[in-house]
Amino acid sequence: MKNKGVIWSIVLGGFALATVLVIAFANVDTHTTTSDYCMSCHSHEEADRLWKQSPHHLSKSGVVTDCAACHLPPKEDGLNRYYMIKLKMGAKDLWAKAVKNPEEIDWASKRQQDYAQQIVYNSSCVKCHQNLYPEGISDDGVAAHLHYEENAEKLRLNCVSCHLNAGHYIPGYTHQKLQGTVDTGPGEIYEAPASVEHFESFTETVPGTNASIRMVAVPGGEFLLGSPENEPLRRSDEGPQKKVRISRFFMAETEVTWRQFWSFYNETMSEGRTPPSVIYAANSREKVDAVSGPTPPFGFPDQGWGMGERPAITMTHYSAETFCQWLSLKTGKTYRLPTEAEWEYAARGGTSTPYFFEGNPKKYAPRGLRRLLGGADTTMIARYVIYEGNSPARTLEPSQVKPNPFGLKNMLGNVMEYCADYYAPDAYAHIPDGAVDPKGPAEGDEFVIRGGCYADGADQVRCAARNHTQHDEWLRTDPQNPKSIWWYSDIKGIGFRVVCEVPETIED
Amino acid sequence: MSSKMNRRSFLTASAAAGAAGLLGGALFTSCSGGNKQKPLREPGTYYIPELPDKAIDGRPLKAGLIGCGGRGNGAVDNLLEAADGITITALGDVFQDRIEATRKAIAEKHGQEVPADHCFTGFDAYQKVIDSGVDMVIVATPPVFRPIHFQYATSKGVHSFLEKPICVDAKGYRTIMATAKQAEAKGLSVVTGTQRHHQRAYVESYKKIQEGLIGEITGGNVYWNQGMLWYRERQEGWSDMEWMIRDWVNWKWLSGDHIVEQHVHNIDVFTWMLGAHPVKATGVGSRQRRVTGDQYDNFSIDFEFENGIHMHSFCRQIDGCSSNVSEFIQGSKGSWNSKDFAIRDLQGNILWQYDEEAAKAEFSQHNPYVLEHVDWVNHIRKGEAHVEAAETGQSSLAGTMGREAAYTGNTITWDEISASEMDYMPEKLELGKMDMSKYTVPVPGTGK
Repeated sequence: MKNKGVIWSIVLGGFALATVLVIAFANVDTHTTTSDYCMSCHSHEEADRLWKQSPHHLSKSGVVTDCAACHLPPKEDGLNRYYMIKLKMGAKDLWAKAVKNPEEIDWASKRQQDYAQQIVYNSSCVKCHQNLYPEGISDDGVAAHLHYEENAEKLRLNCVSCHLNAGHYIPGYTHQKLQGTVDTGPGEIYEAPASVEHFESFTETVPGTNASIRMVAVPGGEFLLGSPENEPLRRSDEGPQKKVRISRFFMAETEVTWRQFWSFYNETMSEGRTPPSVIYAANSREKVDAVSGPTPPFGFPDQGWGMGERPAITMTHYSAETFCQWLSLKTGKTYRLPTEAEWEYAARGGTSTPYFFEGNPKKYAPRGLRRLLGGADTTMIARYVIYEGNSPARTLEPSQVKPNPFGLKNMLGNVMEYCADYYAPDAYAHIPDGAVDPKGPAEGDEFVIRGGCYADGADQVRCAARNHTQHDEWLRTDPQNPKSIWWYSDIKGIGFRVVCEVPETIED
Repeated sequence: MSSKMNRRSFLTASAAAGAAGLLGGALFTSCSGGNKQKPLREPGTYYIPELPDKAIDGRPLKAGLIGCGGRGNGAVDNLLEAADGITITALGDVFQDRIEATRKAIAEKHGQEVPADHCFTGFDAYQKVIDSGVDMVIVATPPVFRPIHFQYATSKGVHSFLEKPICVDAKGYRTIMATAKQAEAKGLSVVTGTQRHHQRAYVESYKKIQEGLIGEITGGNVYWNQGMLWYRERQEGWSDMEWMIRDWVNWKWLSGDHIVEQHVHNIDVFTWMLGAHPVKATGVGSRQRRVTGDQYDNFSIDFEFENGIHMHSFCRQIDGCSSNVSEFIQGSKGSWNSKDFAIRDLQGNILWQYDEEAAKAEFSQHNPYVLEHVDWVNHIRKGEAHVEAAETGQSSLAGTMGREAAYTGNTITWDEISASEMDYMPEKLELGKMDMSKYTVPVPGTGK
């Protein structure tokens, strides 16, 4: 009898304890999932402030969507995953609170697409947003959501691919089509193009706009195209090395800036409804009097990083070529994209080392343990190149770096640059030794791009490093069809620089 | 209607099939040679209409008719045969004579008087009909107007019966798809005039195919070959617009051409059975003997689906040629066709056939045009959402994609057509002059 009482006590006591624990746990879980709790850490005040200005806080219906609704997966997707992620997020905040100075955190980089995709759960978005076609949605909106529903899995589309500003306000961000012309800032409107009498650097002035372009005279010469097999971090498409001769040309000191690109856009903008075939046909006529330029982009293609002297980005190769066509028409000179050989010749500036300055790529791009221990002294590379090691995950103005021996800035970093040539991994094998002004393959699918970008490692910003466009991948989330021929939707670090052919009238 | 099976339900289905296989294996495998029948989709994941002879009784309903042509009149007859307690309370059309004739017919045939102040003419008559206090509308105008009519009805919470096709261009398709979602959210009942979905022989065939009797679907052929359809010569006093609307089955912008307007039925049977829309189309078409308008009178289109499945679509409206209105579907284990509603194995032996005699013994109503209204009214009276518009929107766009492939001579993809700027609606809707130079017969390969 006595035993039975003990057993009952244990059973009842255990039951009571379990109940208390379950209720306590449920309360803790609920309590630690409120926005107030999330914000109690104060390690992300900037994010909290911008959330309060976002559509998820300032909603028309008055419903406030809290932190956990977006930054945790739905419990329905699995409780284990939910609690693991919750613990991880909490630990991260605590860590940040303990060791980081909130003022030093780069909030702008956390507004980027790549980062957002890591910490916003798409299944959480669609858990609330079950009807993607609310009454009053625009036709463009319907088209975009149909594209999403049909291709989400195949093209890895997320809600934040387009609605990046849904949870936190981003100044200037919109995914509407850009309206009207773009302000290119103050400055005199030029009346005439620069006249070039001698082979020396000059400043091009584009008539009717306030855009000017500093053009550097690049003397002709001979150099070894590609990298030697023993160059650290080299890839096989950089060889075999070929000795080639390059004729003199002018090259823009910097990558084409937003001010220059918007000047082109403002003068040539095409209606969004013009079919690509009509544009191609119009621009390839024998005598083009007026170029048909880009259609309005969705949102601001500068990503909110700033315009002005920053390099223009996200335009397609065709866009860049059309810019050159426009510039040639405006100035009466011949502007074009550089060939790959011209680009590398200019980038090297007479040097034959991995960079045009001193340094070993392996030391600048430490791997594994060495990276953990703090890496190497990057003072030298950081002086000339905007790359992963010194960029705040975005482009910078050219004034931040020093020029190469030819006087050109940002050849190796900041943004990748289009070349005129099609890409082939074995392109150099087809160039005869001693070739003069060699060109790439006659046909191809993707174009050569040279020079790394702000997000690349030290290996990608070597003089010889080659890369190429990925046309379809870079248009993955573009819901239009036909997709834009002017703007890429899924690449940020791409831009270009122009070269100008030396008029025949100029003597040595 | 979502036809995608997610990975989890697929696994469950395979596991269930596996378990059934184990059980069945012991009993039957030794004699059947393990020739298991694998369902294409899990039961319960696809829609099978209940098709009683008549709609259930319930609250009285007021119905409006938008578009008082032949099909509109027919649909009124079908609706009143399908259900009791329904009154036609409003009519709308662009032409007064159409309204008068319909009003008279409804009075004579059904003993219902539509009040004169509930009869509306003009291009905005649809709004007035919908706003007149109706519960439900039959929309049977030329199809180019269907999307905006459906959109307006849905915004006002009115149930729609949409005669097929329900869109003829990309803009209309997008309106249909968005509105379908909104109608679902509002719990509306929306039935489209693809009446094969409510035809007993087709529904029974559909069940058998989904149960896996022909195996995986590997291809098909669909046909609507017939003689010339009707046309109207222009009469004195008719404006351009009046003539086009009275002669609407011959004008691209109004009807979508006959591959969309008529042949959508057969394309739709294939997409229904497969549960997927085509991803591209390549084809030919031409105009041989059509008298009025700017349409073709024959199309032959190769539709391609995911996994490389091909379906050939063939339609013609030319007198003196062979006729065939049917569908044929090939599967990995057999085939089905709608000429005799039979399923044959690869050797030609009949495995199953629709039993018309048995159906006649069980049911008295066999007219699919009536049965689709039974289903429509039943969903309204039960208060259950049922929206067919997205599925029919996709088959209408499939027809549109085939048409554009023939008009242009180019392969057209689903992604292209569904996001295209194509909008057939004229800027100005009024009975007056039209820029007739814009309405020309397309010439493939010329961009015109």
